[in-house]
This record gives sequence, C-alpha cells and structure tokens, in this order.
Amino acid sequence: MNMISLTNISKSFHVGKASQFVAVNDVSLDIEPGKVTILKGPSGSGKTTLMTLIGCMARPTSGRIVLSGMRAAWMASEEPAGVEITSLPERFLNDIRRRTFGFVFQQFNLLKGISVLENVMLPAYPTGEDHREFAKRAGVLLEQFSIARHASSPVEWLSGGELQRVAIARALINDPSVIIADEPTAHLDTALSREFMTIVGTLKKAGKTILIASHDPIVFDSPLADRVVEMRDGVITSSGPKP
Amino acid sequence: MILHPAVLSLMTMSLLAGIMVLLAGAVGVRILFSWNIKSGSELQLSLERQTYLVSTILAYTFVFQILSLFLYIYTADNLHGLFVGAMCAAGTLNVNEYGYPVLLLKIVNFLLAGTWLIVNYADTRGYDYPLIRAKYALLLLIAPLVLFEAYEQYRYFSGLHADIITSCCGALFSQDTRNISGDIAALPARPMAIAFFAAMTATLVSGHLFYWKGRGGWLFSAVSLVAFLVGVASLISFISLYIYELPTHHCPFCCLQEEYGYIGYALYATLLGGAVTGLGTGVLMPWRNRGSMKQVIPQLQRTLTLVTVILYLLFTLIVLYRIKFSALTLGW
Ligand SMILES: Nc1ncnc2c1ncn2[C@@H]1O[C@H](COP(=O)(O)OP(=O)(O)OP(=O)(O)O)[C@@H](O)[C@H]1O
Ligand SMILES: [Mg+2]
Repeated sequence: MNMISLTNISKSFHVGKASQFVAVNDVSLDIEPGKVTILKGPSGSGKTTLMTLIGCMARPTSGRIVLSGMRAAWMASEEPAGVEITSLPERFLNDIRRRTFGFVFQQFNLLKGISVLENVMLPAYPTGEDHREFAKRAGVLLEQFSIARHASSPVEWLSGGELQRVAIARALINDPSVIIADEPTAHLDTALSREFMTIVGTLKKAGKTILIASHDPIVFDSPLADRVVEMRDGVITSSGPKP
Repeated sequence: MILHPAVLSLMTMSLLAGIMVLLAGAVGVRILFSWNIKSGSELQLSLERQTYLVSTILAYTFVFQILSLFLYIYTADNLHGLFVGAMCAAGTLNVNEYGYPVLLLKIVNFLLAGTWLIVNYADTRGYDYPLIRAKYALLLLIAPLVLFEAYEQYRYFSGLHADIITSCCGALFSQDTRNISGDIAALPARPMAIAFFAAMTATLVSGHLFYWKGRGGWLFSAVSLVAFLVGVASLISFISLYIYELPTHHCPFCCLQEEYGYIGYALYATLLGGAVTGLGTGVLMPWRNRGSMKQVIPQLQRTLTLVTVILYLLFTLIVLYRIKFSALTLGW
C-alpha cells in the first residue's frame, strides 16, 4: 500500500508578481494507506490546492511528495519501491495519475450530453486498456451503486444523489488505490450526505486510501474518519492524532 | 550581400539558433551548477520545469541546424552562376575566406546537434533525468560553435558580391594544388579504395557484433567515425572520378548537380546520417546500465547501430553502382 508523504510542500500563485500568493505553505504530512483522512478548514485555507498537488494535477512551487511502496512498470527492477511524483516528467506522471488516483469533485464535473455509462468510462480511455475490459468494470460499478438502469441516460436527467454516485463510480473506474474527494457533500442534503459516508465505509473496507476535503460535520465527525487535519491560511494548524 | 531567399533563410535560421542556444545555455549553466534531484527547493523545481521547455526548443533548433548544412551546400551550388569562374558550389564557397570554414563548422555542428538529439531522446525516456548533466554539458560545447558558425556565415554572406572572380573546382580539388583538398585529391585511388571498403566492412562487422551480442559498443562507434572520415576522403580521392567519368576531376560538389542526378545529396545524407547515429551509440555507452536507462539505452543503441549500418551500406551500394556503370575504368 502507498503511504503518501509530503515534505515541505508549498504552492504559490503569481510568483514574482505583486499579486504573489502562497496558497499552501510548507506543509509536511504523511497520509496513511487504507485510512480515511479529512482535510478541514475555512474557505481559502488551501485544501483544494493541496489535493491537486497530491493528485498530480498541479506541481508544487517547492517540496516533494513520495508515494512509498508504489512500483510502476517503467521503474528499473533494482530500484526500491516508491515514486517521487513532483519531479516526474509529464509522460510518467500521467500514468501515475490515472492508475493511482480517483477524483470526486465538488461540482461532480460530469459531462452533459453524454450518457451515464460514457461519463463513468471517461477516465479509462487514455489508459489504452481494452474497451471491453473497462466497459465491463463500468457495468459492475453502475450495478454496485444502483444506477444501472440509468446507464444510457444523459446525466442531466439524474437527481443529485444519483449524480453523486455516478461521480464516485467514475472515480473508481481505473481501480485507483487513492480516492480524493473535494467537498463531496456540499450539494447534498443530510440523507444523501449520510449515504455518501456509507459508500466511503465500503471503499475503506475495500482497502482504499481516502482523502476528503470538507467542512461538513457529517463528514469530519463521522466515526469513519481516522484522522482530521485542520488547515488555515495554507498551513496545517492541527494534524490530528495519527491513526 | 546577395538577397537570395536561401541566403536570407540561412541567416535567419542561424540568428534564431544563436539566440536559442544562448538562452538554453544560460539554463544549462544553472542546471550544471545547481541541479539536485534530491532537493525539493524552489530552484530545483523550477529547473525541472524549465528543462522541458528548453529541451523542446533545442530539439527544434537542432533539427533546423541539421537541415541548414544541406541548405548551405544547396545555396552554394545554386549561386555559382553569379561568380566568374565558379562551376559549382566549390567556387561559390571560395569567393571569400569564410565559405569553407562555415562548411566545416556546419558539418561539425551537424554531428554534434545530431548527437545532442540522441542524448536528449534517451534522457526524456527516463523518469529521473538520467542524462541531464551530460545533455547540458554537450549543449555548452555546441553553443559557442553554433554562435561562431552564425558569425562566420554572416561574414561569408555579407562578403558575397556578384561577379567576384573565384576559382573553379578543377583548380581547388586538383592533385597538384598544395592544400588540404589537393592533398586528399592526390591520395592514390587504389589504396584509398581498399581503405574505404575495409572501413565499411569493419563497421558492418562491429555493428553486427554489437547488435546481436551487445558487445563492442565503443569499438563500433569508433569504427563508424573512422569510416565516416575515410568515406569523405574517398569521395574526393576516387569515388568522384567514377561519378564524373574523368580521371582527374575530384570535386565533391559537382555531384550535387542535376547532371549527376543529384547523387551528391544521397551520398552526403547517408554518410553524415550514419556518422551521427554511430557517434550517438558511443556517447550513450556510459549510461547503458544505469538505473532507468537499462530499459531504454540498449534498445535505442541497437536501433542506432542498425540505422548506421543501413545508411553506410546504402552509401557503399551507391558507390558500387557508380563504379560498375561508370564509363571510366581505372587501371587497377
Ligand atoms: N489558480 C489560482 N490562482 C490564484 N490563486 C489561487 C488559485 N487557486 C487557488 N488560489 C487561491 O489560493 C487560496 C486557497 O484556495 P483553495 O481553493 O485551495 O482553498 P480551499 O481551502 O479549497 O477553499 P474552499 O473551502 O472555498 O474550497 C485561495 O485564496 C485562492 O484564491
Ligand atoms: Mg476548495
């Protein structure tokens, strides 16, 4: 399993300009494998920014992030397992990003006009995997989240709770070991938020590492949360007891 | 100066190449001094980001650098009608004292730029920037030469005026001329031919050994470089005689003309191409068994070796073809 180790991670925007802004400031943190870690903090504290750095969607200004225990196909056999992602050239990063991380966004970011099934399969196309293989997996995921009967419907026909489950199914299509969810319950009512946490419980049981940014008490007060890390102004103010 | 489109494009290309290698060289110096993959410092991360951009820009620059050699000889050939006494590129290049040094610089830069592209290709296949220092050290060697070439080329073209009286290739590449070209022309045909076929055979044999057994990479690279030099000398000393079907005409440029089916371009492209891939094979040797390069370089070297052997073989076949169907027979 991959422990995610952040060492002195900083992210500045508009470097060198008057508007230079430090969104994440010298953050060091170990995210335990197979656990649920919650990032909590006021708006603008840098939660989303930090998660985009961990998920290889952006590069930090300084600092390193290591996925320990990770072994990629292109690594030389005598190299110790573990990949430092911030120095990886783009072509290798794509591979890690697709296979290791699954993302659930606040707005779900589903594509309108294409079917639920196609939305779920979207992240699998660039991996070059056989279409039949991932279509089969997508079918299983839709079953699992009880949305199979909507498979060919366009996403705009779905209710909020259903959209939520489509977004989760999409995050799981490449069977990632780490799920990153940014404010996943922000647009959900209490019942749906609790349902989301039930799904988190299932994923945790399946051994996934889960990282959620949220200021929803249903999320951070949940017994599933192994650790709550608090952020303010780009720094970690409390990293909670290690699980 | 003569405002011919090819002259203008060559000047523009070399100006751009000069600017690019200067900018890239500045990054290169910082990388050579400050690169530390273990560090997560802001400087290191910004260097990592810059090297993508710089490598991409340099790759394009060097592809143009390589093409500029051919454009240069094409231009020299094309302009010969403007100068009194010139019959081919040889005369045009002799119009002032910069023509031949520029040609030599372009050949050297062709080989270096090609080698850099090979090193860069290998480096970008690794996930841990395995050849980054070698790549920028090589750049710092090439940069001054590219700048010098641009300057010399500027002096050459700015000194070109129509109707200047120059020498023709018959005089420049004559066995009786006492200079380097004359000396090469005067090399006796028969021993030179033996040396030529021996060098090409040696490249084939050592390439075969390296390709199939993975042994003798250095040897192959050295042999292919020697074969390149022998090939150039042979072109002037005896291959030219068969092409022109004249026992005393040694010019290496007339063969670029339509009259000889532009055979010169094929000869130079195969010989120079083979030299670059042969050189590249050797340059990669030190990284052959290192970390992330283990899965990249041996395979790449095999491909390069194959390309070298094929290109030299093509060169040799063209030569053999010319010898067989030439009206000239040397009394061997
Ligand atoms: N691309 C960007 N350019 C400039 N500033 C940015 C950029 N992205 C984020 N920021 C700034 O960085 C800070 C942290 O933003 P971030 O989105 O990480 O906060 P957050 O903790 O996720 O907030 P929220 O809870 O509102 O989602 C904010 O002040 C934001 O304006
Ligand atoms: Mg956010």
